Amino acid sequence: MTAALKIESVESGYDKTPVIRGISLDVQPGEIVTILGKNGMGKSTLLKTIMGFVRASKGHISLFGKNVVGERPYRIARHDVSYTPQEFTLFQDLTVEENLRLGVPDDVTFHRRFEQVGYHFPVISERLKQRAGTLSGGEQKMLLVSRALIAQPKLMLIDELTEGLQPTVIAKLTEVLRLERDRTGVAILLVEQNLRFALSIADSYAVLNLGQIIDRGNDTTAATIEKIAEELSV
Amino acid sequence: MHGELGDTLAINLALDVITSSAILFIISVGLLIIFGVMKILNFAHAGFISVGGYAGLVTTKFEVSPWLSFPLAFVIGAAIGAVLERLVIRHLYKRPLDAILAAWGIGIILVQLITILFGREIQFVQRPISGTLDVIGESYSTYRLFMVLGAVAVGSVIAWLLQRTRLGLNTRAVIMNDDLAQALAINSVRVRFISFSLGSGLAAMAGAMITPLSSVDPNMGFPWIVSAFMIVLLSGTSLVSLAASSFVLGGAQVLVSTFVNPVVGGLSIVILAAIILRIRPEGFSLE
Amino acid sequence: MNKQSADGKSKRPKTGRIFSMRAMLWFIGIAMIVVAIGPFVFDKYTTNVLIRSFLYAVTVLTVDILWGYTGILTFGQSAFFGIGAYAAALTFTHLGFSPEMAALSFIGGIVVSMAVAWLVGWIAFWHRASPLYVAVLSLVLPIIVVQLLYSGGKFTGSSSGLVGFEAFDISVNGWFWIAGGLLITLTAIGWLFVHSDFGRVLVAIRENEKRCQFLGIDTTRIKIILMMAMAAVASIAGYVYACYTVVVAPEIAGFVFGTELVIYTALGGRATLIGPAIGAVLIDLTSAYLSGNLPFIWKLIVGTIFVAVIVVLPQGAAPVVKGLFMRLGAFFRRTPGQPAIGDIASLSTLAAVESPSSRPGGVTDFAALKTENLSRHYGSFKALDTISFEARDGELLSIVGPNGAGKTTLMQCISDGQGRSGGNVWINGQLIGRKSPQAVVKLGIGRSFQNTNMFESLNVSECLRLARYCHERPALFSRETDLALPGAAMRIIEATGLEAIFDSEARNLSHGQKRALELTMVLAIEPSVLLLDEPTAGLTKAERTLIGGILADLSRDDELCVLLIEHDLDFVRQVSSRVIVLHQGGLLMDGTVQEVVASDMVKAVYSGQHAIEEHQ
Repeated sequence: MTAALKIESVESGYDKTPVIRGISLDVQPGEIVTILGKNGMGKSTLLKTIMGFVRASKGHISLFGKNVVGERPYRIARHDVSYTPQEFTLFQDLTVEENLRLGVPDDVTFHRRFEQVGYHFPVISERLKQRAGTLSGGEQKMLLVSRALIAQPKLMLIDELTEGLQPTVIAKLTEVLRLERDRTGVAILLVEQNLRFALSIADSYAVLNLGQIIDRGNDTTAATIEKIAEELSV
Repeated sequence: MHGELGDTLAINLALDVITSSAILFIISVGLLIIFGVMKILNFAHAGFISVGGYAGLVTTKFEVSPWLSFPLAFVIGAAIGAVLERLVIRHLYKRPLDAILAAWGIGIILVQLITILFGREIQFVQRPISGTLDVIGESYSTYRLFMVLGAVAVGSVIAWLLQRTRLGLNTRAVIMNDDLAQALAINSVRVRFISFSLGSGLAAMAGAMITPLSSVDPNMGFPWIVSAFMIVLLSGTSLVSLAASSFVLGGAQVLVSTFVNPVVGGLSIVILAAIILRIRPEGFSLE
Repeated sequence: MNKQSADGKSKRPKTGRIFSMRAMLWFIGIAMIVVAIGPFVFDKYTTNVLIRSFLYAVTVLTVDILWGYTGILTFGQSAFFGIGAYAAALTFTHLGFSPEMAALSFIGGIVVSMAVAWLVGWIAFWHRASPLYVAVLSLVLPIIVVQLLYSGGKFTGSSSGLVGFEAFDISVNGWFWIAGGLLITLTAIGWLFVHSDFGRVLVAIRENEKRCQFLGIDTTRIKIILMMAMAAVASIAGYVYACYTVVVAPEIAGFVFGTELVIYTALGGRATLIGPAIGAVLIDLTSAYLSGNLPFIWKLIVGTIFVAVIVVLPQGAAPVVKGLFMRLGAFFRRTPGQPAIGDIASLSTLAAVESPSSRPGGVTDFAALKTENLSRHYGSFKALDTISFEARDGELLSIVGPNGAGKTTLMQCISDGQGRSGGNVWINGQLIGRKSPQAVVKLGIGRSFQNTNMFESLNVSECLRLARYCHERPALFSRETDLALPGAAMRIIEATGLEAIFDSEARNLSHGQKRALELTMVLAIEPSVLLLDEPTAGLTKAERTLIGGILADLSRDDELCVLLIEHDLDFVRQVSSRVIVLHQGGLLMDGTVQEVVASDMVKAVYSGQHAIEEHQ
């Protein structure tokens, strides 16, 4: 089976500053992998490198078997990948509906898939004509996930979804992501600082420190949380 | 001034203000689109206005309907803009000052080409509509009044494109956040290409539209760009602000020209715009 | 200032400057010979054209200094050329010719040009103006000047201009030597100027004006004064031109000529001075010959080459030519033993900066930094919501919080009087009001930035000297080889080994080295309040411990007030005396390290983080 995402010995950075110093990683279809680590260790840069916003200076990145290093972000996005960045995630001045429409290539498809949104997040379908900037933090995240899902991606790249959210909202988002994965077999690469949330949803994890993976595994029980916490404090 | 004379003056003045604003709007709208999407002022704008003016001359020489000059100008302008975006502007995306410098050079090249092809004398085109219209008892140039219609039409079409089409939505996304738009699979390179072509086409069309009001010569675009640049700087990325800026500055120019001096009137747009920008850097935009 | 000489290491590193002093002296020598024998070698027509070309080249020098070196794109230098020319023409036409009138019009042209330059600078160069706006205004200037000349009726000669006024009785050869001499002299002076320490400041402004402002450099004032000086030079060139040709027309003040000046600069090689000067002479001479045969096609060709050069070869011809020269041999390279530009002969430590307790007036009751109801809105979005806190000398205050909490915005509002939407900020007891960043620096703030985009082509020693601008004005026509830095800065240099790479250009440094340089530069300002935005981001554990130790020492021993934005909570625990927590723009908590770590509220915010905290 072709991996949804395959990264081999990738290095990248800004100007001459290397941030990612040799990372190899696989995400299989239907798998949820989480990348853990403290801020500034390269987690966001990794996603940006996959999406083409940062040029990989070494290594290979392939999506569903196709090499994507050097492609522009919008081309990479067309490989059925949805990317949810950490900041500047929504068009604050566009309406909720317009933000959602931008998740799909054309409006015909939008109208066809629109019921999904209401199914998971009724509150979003109530606020269609509102400007996205007027939504609360939790509602904005729900809109984000809706936009990502309406694209019916085969791979989702999510950067720090739960930052600053209430536990109830986090629980809801966890449930939605799991449901979608079970229903469609979407692969998810989740970058997180919240160990508890990440390990509760992931099938496997990788720990990033100073641009390299220092630990990975499939055991996502509570004991792992302690182990990783220690690794990150060194 | 009392009575009939005063009324005449007032009506004429009001019409002058409205039509001048409309003309400024038409001239500037192409510039606004390019500025909004690409964040640069198209310094080749003057060249495109001239191209449009000479499109009008061509229709006059071939004795076809002058109305054809508008779409002809648009098509030629858009085509030239497309070629230039592809060849030159695209490579200067990360160097905005160099981009405007290259655009300026292109504008000069366009003017030189026109001079070689058509000569540098002042020439005249045929008006699509001649004569005058009766407005509240005053005779006023019909064509000038038509410009108001033209401005409304152009503004409405562009607003419709931006708000009601998918391309418009993509364009607005690119204007707000290019990277985010790309992450959503929007080909921002193509959006910029289309915007530049559209903006150039509109500039040329504006040139064709204003030519019947005066005359055609290779340098006809240059006096306009100073006002156009200032108006666009005041308008940010909003069509409504553009209308407002055109009105305020156009009105100031007319009033100053009438009551003080035409030379000072010509300068009033620049001076007023500089003052407004100093006080409120966002100009008239509501962002 | 007492200078204690350090272990005077002398360095002879190579630098990448385009033309060395030796090349310059050769150029002057050859140029002088050409100008001296010119009239006897060239035919009359060529001699006449060259006079004009030399004067254009003088004006091109001003464009290169403004645009090439300082980054101010201007199409308007022609306006000042025209003002100088019309000063002569108007005076001689209406008031007759005499030595007094000559002197009067000469000075008058300069004075008017400088006044106009001041006005344009005042309108164009302000805190939030974009380079685009400046370029537009520079285009507007000549258009306005030409308009005024057109409407001057008989007085200015309107579109026909003024002709045949009485002027100096000098032979063509004489004018040739005057124009040639003027060009050589001004090129030499200009060369000294741009290669001086002050010249580096101009380059720094071009590369990162904002950063310069946060080093306390009043870039607006510098740009205005520079514009005035360049306007004066262009005016002189115009004056000589009018006296020589005895014909002036409005076109010499117009934007077409102004654009040609920019084209000559771009083609000759911006920021090389000699390139544009030679380029202007050659292109103008060629134009004169080809213009007769194919007037418009020539302009078309030049225009096309211009656009092509901008896209493909932005540095113009000079580097290509230099490459050729390099291959010609060692002739134009420095001889060994001769100091290169940018050398530091000796690095020394300044005597201790006054600590707060020894300041006149002693320790005051004022907090080093105080904010009250500080807010920042973007429309309805509240980036900062009524933040109030105090920080004293000797404290190391860490600012923590999730991404987007407003930490960097907080620093922006403290360091830039124009930054905030509401509330007040006091630095050492003084309100910052609406002061620009450079003025706030004078109140005692030193700010470092998260991103390391600094000054690409300046080397480390030049960056440090730049940071000393407020305390030691750079020389205008020479380069200082001694550099004295405050003790705190020296400590960083010693600890991080920065001295070994003094001649490296900033863009070639590693991430850790850039961070060290950034910190050293901030300390070189001698601030009393340090604002550091993630100073240890991307550094190794060892590097972080090092920097952390230095920062703790700074606050303790030098009694500086240090504010730190940090994500690394362990780092925060090691070095801070106090912590404030921001969350979604609001101040969540303000207390000691223990209080914050133990707080439930903070744990809830850092939902997963507490798992890390518990297991230390």
